[in-house]
Amino acid sequence: MTVKVYSTPTCPWCTRVKEYLSSKNVDFVDYDVSSDRDKAMEMITKSGQRGVPVVDIEGNIIIGFDQQNIDRFLNL
Amino acid sequence: MIWIYYINIYYMSKGDLLMYDVIIIGKGPAGLQAALYTARAKLKTLVIGKDSVIEKSTRIDNYCCAPSQTGEELIAIGVQQGKAVGVEFKKEIAVSIRKNSTFEVITDNNTYKSKAVIIATGQPSKKIPIKNINYLEGKGIHYCSTCDGFFYEGLKVGIIGYTDYAIQELKEMQNYTNNITLYTNNQELDINTINQKFLKEQNIPIITKKIYSFEGEQMIKKISFDDQSEENVDGVFIAYGTASSVDFARKLGIMIQDNAIQVDDNQKTNIDGLYAAGDCTGGFKQISTAVGQGALAGKSAIEYIKKLKEEI
Repeated sequence: MTVKVYSTPTCPWCTRVKEYLSSKNVDFVDYDVSSDRDKAMEMITKSGQRGVPVVDIEGNIIIGFDQQNIDRFLNL
Repeated sequence: MIWIYYINIYYMSKGDLLMYDVIIIGKGPAGLQAALYTARAKLKTLVIGKDSVIEKSTRIDNYCCAPSQTGEELIAIGVQQGKAVGVEFKKEIAVSIRKNSTFEVITDNNTYKSKAVIIATGQPSKKIPIKNINYLEGKGIHYCSTCDGFFYEGLKVGIIGYTDYAIQELKEMQNYTNNITLYTNNQELDINTINQKFLKEQNIPIITKKIYSFEGEQMIKKISFDDQSEENVDGVFIAYGTASSVDFARKLGIMIQDNAIQVDDNQKTNIDGLYAAGDCTGGFKQISTAVGQGALAGKSAIEYIKKLKEEI
């Protein structure tokens, strides 16, 4: 299962998302959108908005740290 | 003895005059009760807050073991009790909290550091009622420049607010763009002289007109005013009124639910060293419950700092 996290280093909620995924032993790819303009645009296109974090779980887009939906799409 | 040298530096440096064990934000029953506990445990305690909402109560009859009195009288007694055990009070407004190795609480007048923070800021203020604000959240409307400011690098951004809290947000936004306008939404600017000077020196445009709506489909495009004029913007950051518990939560990553900070049975949030008590945690909004939660938050902060000292 492919999990992508779009984040910035200064965003506390991005840290929470990544900590949560790690605590559940979920492997993920972290894109720092503050230094990767292409990934920033990809995130905006996928989520239709500019807030971080955004989590992409097999094409299911989750905006913010939404634990309920993360659990749902990861079958946790 | 190198360590003696460092200890001397620690006590002599001016900055550390502003270092506390515990900072409590909010001067209501929850904050005052927490302060009594932490100060009696010999922790250097600072309470930051101007007038508490409870001070507007003309009569309080349902608080056990205390005579009928006004909210102002009740808080005055609490402040007196606090001062008697060494609590420091600052009549200032907290505009931001940061966490690195210690907490930094930025007020309208100063910056203070502490090992632990207790948020007791009362019920969070309601969202500013402007048309389309909910629809465009994340689509150009944001509440945390530290989190989302990056997306507006070099673009035109509006800060909605009229207090020192808005100016703090504006300053943080300057890390990303200099094209910033302050929109006060028909409110008089209520900021300190330093920030007045800052706005003037930086030549920040200030629009005082009442906002009617935010406009845009996929992303915000413009702000419409009551006088039917419009201004194009790429993004808007809301920092309206005073910073509430929810605003602090957004910036720190504190878990919230239904506009209330989530705490465990000991008033701990999901962030180490950060506690919350009283109306900002939701539930039964009474003085008696606020006082009980304040006591628990104080106790938890004491235990946390004791543990920190043991680890050193």
